[in-house]
Amino acid sequence: MSDAALPHAFQYESARHQARTAIAGMWLFLASEVLFFGVLFLSWIVCRHWNQAGFDAGARQTALAIGTLNTVILITSSAFYTAGVAFIEASNTRRLIQCCALAWVLGLAFLILKFGIEWHEDLARHLFPGPRFAITGELRTGAQLFFVFYFVATALHGLHLLAGLGLVGWIIRRAGRGEFSAQYSTPVAVVGLYWSFVDMVWIVLFPLIYLIGRGP
Amino acid sequence: MSAAAGAAALSGESYLTDGFSLRSWLLTTDHKRIAILYLASITVFFFIGAAGAALVRYNLIVPEGLIKSAETYNRLFTMHGVVMVWFFLVPAVPVTLGNFIVPLMLGARDLAFPKLNLVSWYLFMLGGAIVLYSLFTGGVDTGWTFYTPLTTQYSKGHVVATVIGIFIAGFSSIATGLNFIVSIHRLRAPGMTWFRMPVFLWSLYATSVILVLATPVLAMTLVLLAFERIFHIGVFDPTLGGDPLLFQHLFWFYSHPAVYIMILPGFGIVSEIVPAFSRKPLFGYTFVVWASIGIAVISFLVWGHHMFVAGTSLFSALVFSILSYMVAVPSAIKVFNWIGTLHKGFIRFDAPMLYALGFIGLFTMGGLTGLFVAALAADVHLTQTYFVVAHFHYVMVGGMVSAFFAGLHYWWPKITGRHYPEMWGRAGALIIFIGFHLTFFPQFILGYLGMPRRYHSYAPEFQVLNVLSSAGTTILAAGYLLPLGYLTWSLLRGERAAPNPWDATGLEWQTPSPPPTENFVATPVVTEEPYAYPRPKPQATS
Amino acid sequence: MSPRRLLLTWGLLLGVLAIEVGASFLPIGRPARPLLLLPALLMVGMVAAIFMQIGRGPTVVRLFAAAGLLWLLILLALGSLDPLTRIVYPVPAMERATPAANPP
Repeated sequence: MSDAALPHAFQYESARHQARTAIAGMWLFLASEVLFFGVLFLSWIVCRHWNQAGFDAGARQTALAIGTLNTVILITSSAFYTAGVAFIEASNTRRLIQCCALAWVLGLAFLILKFGIEWHEDLARHLFPGPRFAITGELRTGAQLFFVFYFVATALHGLHLLAGLGLVGWIIRRAGRGEFSAQYSTPVAVVGLYWSFVDMVWIVLFPLIYLIGRGP
Repeated sequence: MSAAAGAAALSGESYLTDGFSLRSWLLTTDHKRIAILYLASITVFFFIGAAGAALVRYNLIVPEGLIKSAETYNRLFTMHGVVMVWFFLVPAVPVTLGNFIVPLMLGARDLAFPKLNLVSWYLFMLGGAIVLYSLFTGGVDTGWTFYTPLTTQYSKGHVVATVIGIFIAGFSSIATGLNFIVSIHRLRAPGMTWFRMPVFLWSLYATSVILVLATPVLAMTLVLLAFERIFHIGVFDPTLGGDPLLFQHLFWFYSHPAVYIMILPGFGIVSEIVPAFSRKPLFGYTFVVWASIGIAVISFLVWGHHMFVAGTSLFSALVFSILSYMVAVPSAIKVFNWIGTLHKGFIRFDAPMLYALGFIGLFTMGGLTGLFVAALAADVHLTQTYFVVAHFHYVMVGGMVSAFFAGLHYWWPKITGRHYPEMWGRAGALIIFIGFHLTFFPQFILGYLGMPRRYHSYAPEFQVLNVLSSAGTTILAAGYLLPLGYLTWSLLRGERAAPNPWDATGLEWQTPSPPPTENFVATPVVTEEPYAYPRPKPQATS
Repeated sequence: MSPRRLLLTWGLLLGVLAIEVGASFLPIGRPARPLLLLPALLMVGMVAAIFMQIGRGPTVVRLFAAAGLLWLLILLALGSLDPLTRIVYPVPAMERATPAANPP
């Protein structure tokens, strides 16, 4: 089958031209997202700089086990999705759906662990900044700032993940209707980029939240 | 080519006649129709913002202030700033002229992501509606800069609602910028190499880089601001260990490059018009191109000059001051190149050219006074005075709005298929130029003498200059209402336009006016450099 | 992408993660602890290279990714320039905690 014969929007020369442009567009969007999260990283640097002891004391209150497990879950989810992309490039829709479903379930597991269990415990232990904040004394200021960072960063990452779940679900639905094949799998690849990016953000947030403050 | 274009124009098939229902406009993915939707929207926002400015100038006619409440005055200038910056100046050229002209100049049938383009308009309108709602139901008294801790702790206005509106409108900016960058990379017509692109495309590319990479920083900063306002604790509160200057750093990381979002498209427009009305190729094309890219990059390195007196470290102030001088270099290169283009040209003073020449003059004054405030020592005296107000209005209003009108008149025949009335156009350009100087030149003097900005009243000795400035506002207002009138009139009664009324280069002129929905009947092929204006022989003119 | 390569990448990512978590228990001094980000950056690179196949799309993909990183660097470097070099003079009368009250 000739490439030019595949359907494509009228501003493109060919389906391949359109597909590669969509991939480029997603990468540019992700570059924009890098700067979005970049603000959080800068706040982390500045707040920790002014209040190191308290900031680290806050970090020691986090649940390392859940955090680590969640990192493993997201990496695995991203790997499953990548396998799905490879399968559809070999026109294997059944395997694509299986891989996406696994990726989706793992994403959901992350959200449950993060917001159902970890946040729940954090809130129960009065770690949300405010008048009833658990840590008192000299370290209170910095620890509160850490938890401002923690709650804003995890909430925004969680929202991105939630959007990702929607997108992966949409891919599963479309794959179920048999819309993808080796010739046409652009949406699968584009959503994959986003899904892996959400993973990436977490990989960077993980040491910032759980590891660096856990010092002697 | 011209025969085919003429035939298409005669048959009347164009993007304007391709469907007349409201639905065919509100759900369109045609970049040209979206440009029209945006043009109507930003015109409304412009006049709302201008009304705010008019009330501010009305108040300042007498030293004690004609509007009795300082609180009301604060809300008025905040409304003026917020609406003008985010809902007129930042989007104005990219979403209207850019949306319309970029695909045409590229020789493409549409932008890379037409649906995203439509989504961006809806986001813009949603953000705008939220901001207008909050501004008209009480407003905000913080100034458009939203400095903490005023916004997070003390202000009584609708800070969170306004911030949400700006946040949403920000994503419309990102969508537009993303569309332009990807389209310019991927949808150039055959033969349109990077260095055959008209400077307008380069300028919008540079603008889009800023839109895509700076706007998300503002978005996250506003999230942190809203968090702090809602929960009364956050990273910007100095009494709780945070750093209020962090807010200013983040805010200006966006807002300084945003100044270049406003002015870079203007550079592009003027670089189209000056060669076309001088009948000469753009002087030093490569320099102008690299100056655009240079400005886009360097504009990110200078934001600290907004904070010289805020208590930043001396070391960082020195670094930012030096970097701020650097950004003047590419801007100056452009001015020299436009003047070089005019040199020995065969200049025609049509309305677009008058607006463009006005732009060069006003921008040069705005830019040069920028050097005064970039100087660390001078800034300590001038910051927070009317000198700064005059400086950035020369760049943004004098420069940018003139360039917008220049482009609007230049491409008006292409967009609407009708000519605007030429004499009215020239009169408008002249009235705006005069009214602008009368409004803002006195403010340089006021600022130098020490009148602080953002105050509801002032010392009596400043009254003469303030009255002059307010008087200038009325002329400026007339100058802005004039194009609204005659351009609207021309929609119905204007003379029909030929495909290339200015005899200009550029692919947008090689298709009928107004263009058909698919832009080009056959994909154009580019075979020569931009601005290939034939050089008439000297004796031909004598 | 071959299944072996994918599996290997997954294993390597988990391995680096294990090293990172393990290293966080070492007695590293406070100023040096941000070095724990290095394994994370390595992992980000692996995800970009293998999962996102950054090498496969059009060239402009690498350009966009590089731009994102460069501008992040500008934000972090110039953004922290002032806080890291600022001298805050303590205000004796202040009752509530201020940045000056907890100098690093």
